[in-house]
Amino acid sequence: MREARAKRLVIGALVALSLLILSAPTLVVLGASFTAGNIIAFPPDGLSLKWYEKVAGASDLRQAFWRSLQVALICTIVAVPVGTLAGLALAKHRVRFSNALQVYLLLPFTIPLIGSGIGLMLLFGEAGVLGSLWPVGLAACVINLPFMIWAVTASAGALDPDLELAAASCGAPPLQTFLLVTVPAVAPGIITGSLLMFILALNEFLVSLLLVDARTVTLPVQIYNSIRSIITPDLAAISVVFIACAALAILALDRLVGLDIFLKSK
Amino acid sequence: MSAAARAMAADSSAPDRAAAPVVPAVSVRDVAMVFSGQAAVADASFDLASGRFLTILGPSGSGKTTLLRMIAGFQRPTRGEIAINGRPVSAVPPHKRRVGMVFQKLALFPHMTAAENVAFPLKMRRFDAREIPARVARYLDLVHLGPYADRRIHELSGGQQQRVAIARALVFEPDLLLLDEPLAALDRKLREEMQLEFRRIQKELCITTINVTHDQREALVVSDEVIVMDRGRIQQMADPISAYREPANAFVASFIGVTNRIEGRLSDAQGDAVTLDTPFGPCAGRWGAPAGRSPRVGEAATGMLRAEQIRVAPSGEDRGGLDASVSAEIVDVIFEGERVVYEARLAGRPEATLRVFDHDPLGHAVQPVGATVRLGWNRRDLIVFPND
Repeated sequence: MREARAKRLVIGALVALSLLILSAPTLVVLGASFTAGNIIAFPPDGLSLKWYEKVAGASDLRQAFWRSLQVALICTIVAVPVGTLAGLALAKHRVRFSNALQVYLLLPFTIPLIGSGIGLMLLFGEAGVLGSLWPVGLAACVINLPFMIWAVTASAGALDPDLELAAASCGAPPLQTFLLVTVPAVAPGIITGSLLMFILALNEFLVSLLLVDARTVTLPVQIYNSIRSIITPDLAAISVVFIACAALAILALDRLVGLDIFLKSK
Repeated sequence: MSAAARAMAADSSAPDRAAAPVVPAVSVRDVAMVFSGQAAVADASFDLASGRFLTILGPSGSGKTTLLRMIAGFQRPTRGEIAINGRPVSAVPPHKRRVGMVFQKLALFPHMTAAENVAFPLKMRRFDAREIPARVARYLDLVHLGPYADRRIHELSGGQQQRVAIARALVFEPDLLLLDEPLAALDRKLREEMQLEFRRIQKELCITTINVTHDQREALVVSDEVIVMDRGRIQQMADPISAYREPANAFVASFIGVTNRIEGRLSDAQGDAVTLDTPFGPCAGRWGAPAGRSPRVGEAATGMLRAEQIRVAPSGEDRGGLDASVSAEIVDVIFEGERVVYEARLAGRPEATLRVFDHDPLGHAVQPVGATVRLGWNRRDLIVFPND
């Protein structure tokens, strides 16, 4: 009995500590954003919403946030069809060089982001498209696409291999089978993947830093630029807005497909 | 539509009745399927009459599923031709064949409700949209799933999912129903219940059905006809009783039922009455090879003797009326309630072991291990096949 209780205590303490460490940065930023003082500090120096007011009024931050949303949207719109088709192909068909392809898909993770960033910068620079937003979205899509493909592959791998044959025996021609059976059946994977892509593109910093200029600066880059001049609590406030966006996406994921499915990545 | 009305409709639609009075519902002619040099199915030919329930029985890798998938249209035969209601279908893609199929893992559409699954074939086959709900309801009732129409697939039990799959395969009134071992994953009780359910629905709708299984009991229980396959070839096609009582070869004899193999040499042959010299001594038997392969005295042969055809009696007390009687020692006893399973062995001859099912209704004592007993059987139950 005593032993069991001691065990529970130790495990409980470890869990609490882990949760604290994991959430500490978020809590600190959250606290700091409500400060009434003029310097960023934790614990906050009094409570107020004035920094949120300032953020709402700051047109440069607002515009950067809007641009980040656009980048995330472009990234997701490109990633959904590309990632879905690639994921289905890898999961359902014996693609030639499938192993090599899997390794290739890992490349974006193994190559340092700064390397990919410079590569993309040279590429887009050569093409003369730097300065518009869509290359930033496209870049975010390229480096994060494996997440989308994995989400779809995991979802498709859990399906009955006879599902499409069943549709055919029900009288569905190949296109109908794809649109009415295959895609809806892997929808949990597609939704998971696209929300991931959206969040990753929204947060994407390093590659964007190399691809944006003054006209196309995104929110993470904007925050970084501000930090280099003066650190004021409005940065904490905008960070909280940022965190809220990610939380919203996770909430949507839970509502749409269920977090348990996402965590088991099925 | 009543079974009789359906049968009539099927009859009147049969092309050119005068020239071909009976068009088989399914006709398979010299079909072969070769995967990278290996023949998964070779020289398969059979006809199946309309309204019959055929089971293709065989061990895994025997080619039974490949044959079924060729009939469904998922695989194209390397050679040969398959016709459904007289129409060659080798060039017809599966979605244009009027064939319903229940898959091994059911392959229900996970994102749809039970009713949506059943409605799917009707939508794809462009049935009148006003007619669809009533028809879906009728077929859900047929499989006793009326109250579960709006459940999602994962909210249904295994047996209920089976029923959805059956309704989905039948709802568009296909010419042919294919069952690809859909019962393999079920526990025994549910499996036996669903076997009878398949049987009931098949009789009710009078639909031509081809079932694939490795479960010999299922084959005997549900079918009008049985095809036994081994290594890509059809070994025998017969009704269940004939397949059991008159196996075409040693493989069929050993695959259906529990059968003892007794190796020996022919010492006498008069017509189909043969004598096999075995470790148990000379045993009278019946020649089982097809006509044209007559027995030759002196050739090596194998006697097949079913476990339930052997009678057990304590030694000394012989049972009258049996053609053969040998002495053996009990080496294992399994009491199964309604029957006792014995392993009996000729003293000192481990290769001469017989398995015996004793269903004695008068319930004499169970023989203990080590007891010496008399085993007896009738001549016609020892079927002798040549070893080639």
